Amino acid sequence: MTLQGILLVNFIGLVLLLWVLNLVRHGRLYVGYGVIFVVTILGSLVLVSVPWLLTAVTHLIGAIFPASALTLLALCFIVLMLLYILTQITIVSNRLSKLVQELAIERARLDAKRATPDRDRDRDRVPETKQND
Amino acid sequence: MTPNARILIAIPAYNEAGTIAAVIERVRSSLPDYDLLVVNDGSGDATGLILKTLGVTVATHMCNLGYGRAVQTAIMYALDCGYDALITLDADGQHQPEQVGGLLREFEAGGCDVLIGSRYIAGGGYRGTPFGRRVGMQLFSHIVKLVVGQRVYDTSSGLKVMRRTVFDPLTHWHFVDFHAEAIVYLMRLGYCIGEYPVTVAERTQGHSMYKLVNHFKYPLKTSMLVLLGIIQAGLTRRRHRS
Repeated sequence: MTLQGILLVNFIGLVLLLWVLNLVRHGRLYVGYGVIFVVTILGSLVLVSVPWLLTAVTHLIGAIFPASALTLLALCFIVLMLLYILTQITIVSNRLSKLVQELAIERARLDAKRATPDRDRDRDRVPETKQND
Repeated sequence: MTPNARILIAIPAYNEAGTIAAVIERVRSSLPDYDLLVVNDGSGDATGLILKTLGVTVATHMCNLGYGRAVQTAIMYALDCGYDALITLDADGQHQPEQVGGLLREFEAGGCDVLIGSRYIAGGGYRGTPFGRRVGMQLFSHIVKLVVGQRVYDTSSGLKVMRRTVFDPLTHWHFVDFHAEAIVYLMRLGYCIGEYPVTVAERTQGHSMYKLVNHFKYPLKTSMLVLLGIIQAGLTRRRHRS
């Protein structure tokens, strides 16, 4: 990778790093998710900035060009993150469903409880009305 | 089941303002001795308002969770309130509450844990079944036979009677449609599933859940869920054994 490329990647990485830290600071990103991004960004910066490390990784993966190795790693990261995010969404959705169900049941139970004394009262009132007639 | 058994009738409803009042009226007149619960599954139309005026017990989902979750809410309610059996009916007016009496008698005599009101066995009937849906029903009927060794002809019927014994396992897993996947799951756990012939009228109001895209999505989704149902049943059995 050329020096210009290394500088550009480092600049983008640093901007992303600051953005992630700012999101965590404002509570708009969980610390756990933030850590994943910080570690990945730092790892990418090290990989791009140390030429022999990038060459070693390229050989290890079996790629010919370092750019191909980086693309493959990036794709793997994106797919893993996507799966992780969808898992998290499903978990939250299931929790929400459970809450909605529990709330609906509790309200229905309250309704049924309220309706039972009303029914009993109505039943008691019938003879009174007849007597008055 | 004892003669004093407590039975709950549950009607999951989603945007059924056009039919819900008539369905409840028919259920009340045909089955006056049983408690009734309507699960309003986040309806966006006037279903909720109509239910309020009818004075029926309603479990309202604040947002739409789908048919499976609506039935599961009814099961959870029945379990919490100590009911011995649960009858589920569709809110679109296709099921005839007058037939529930026969279904219940068969349920009490037969000893099944779940009895499905079936449109596709001898004596049952459904006017105007679309071709695609009929093929789908045949497919899932054969899949169930392949997996559990017993043919269930109507895997997607909304008219069912369930014994209290199945309430607990059905609250432990999320069912999307409560169709073939729930049947396979229960049968793999060793519960008995039976069918009873019923006739079902054509839908006159509202929209069916079976849209064009669902003809492709539904079989794939249900096949995957059947597979997961088998795995889940295996894991549940192992957990119970240990």
